[in-house]
Amino acid sequence: MALTADIVKSGGKRQTEKFVRDKLKASIIAACRSVRAYEGEAENTADLVCDAVESWLATRPEVTSGDLRIVTSRHLKKYHPEAAYLYEQYRITI
Amino acid sequence: MDIAGSLAIVTLAALTHASFQLSVSVLSLLSGHSIGAKQSQAKLLRLTSSFLGGVAIMTILILSFTSLALIDLFGPTAPKAIWSIGCGLLVGIALAVWLFYYRKEKGTSLWIPRDMASYLVKRTKATKISAEAFSLGLSSVVGEILFIIAPLFIAALALIRLSPNWQLIGIGIYTLVSMLPIIAIWILISGGHTIARIQKWREDNKYFLQFIAGAGLIVLSFFVYMNEIITAVAGQI
Repeated sequence: MALTADIVKSGGKRQTEKFVRDKLKASIIAACRSVRAYEGEAENTADLVCDAVESWLATRPEVTSGDLRIVTSRHLKKYHPEAAYLYEQYRITI
Repeated sequence: MDIAGSLAIVTLAALTHASFQLSVSVLSLLSGHSIGAKQSQAKLLRLTSSFLGGVAIMTILILSFTSLALIDLFGPTAPKAIWSIGCGLLVGIALAVWLFYYRKEKGTSLWIPRDMASYLVKRTKATKISAEAFSLGLSSVVGEILFIIAPLFIAALALIRLSPNWQLIGIGIYTLVSMLPIIAIWILISGGHTIARIQKWREDNKYFLQFIAGAGLIVLSFFVYMNEIITAVAGQI
């Protein structure tokens, strides 16, 4: 069954949007690549993390983008701690 | 004061400028995005070099403009009252740095206007070509103007009493020294170090960096006050 969870954007400034797995996967792959992980490793990690995040989302009709980032980062930490660190830091570097 | 004394003030001012972190943060983000977007190492070097170029040009422009404005206003020798104002500015900003420089949250978020921070984050993500990286470098210097204005002001006061040739050398020294941290990060990134390790080191040591930045401003203020104000007053007695 396809997920229909709504993602409320941070600060409420932008419109709520539907969860898109590919978008999340692209961001995880980018974080993995940023720490110079191999392409295949980045893809596999992203798939595993997306699966875990989707099962978390399955029981929630609405989550904030901040919550999504925290949960993604928590799962990513299991597979690639360095990438998870960078993923967490994205909004809090500047 | 002689040439060496003026250049010492310029160098010390540049060192305090170097302790501010906005350009380092933007360079780290830019490199992270660039590597994450699968750009080649050559492209990464082009982008980061252009960013450094932007930082250098904006630093030169602001320092030259401040020097020109001071020369127009006071001629080659600024009154002692202006030096005193500069010292006050240094102490005030040092206290602000100690109290506010890093936000009280995880990461290395800085106490700069949030709109400016969000603009820099968005532009960093969107930067794909060297010209954009160059303009990002220009913007990142403007973004921390609240903090760097004091060392720039003092360096400009020290520069205007030098001969034109020495002024150019002084501007060169200031620009180079103030960029040392981003040059170091640039070398690390070019050498294959991961952004995560660099960012982790910065986060772990952020309060030390904050203390050093504030202490640098206080030391500079003390040095300038002793050399420019106290020496002049003692000479008149």
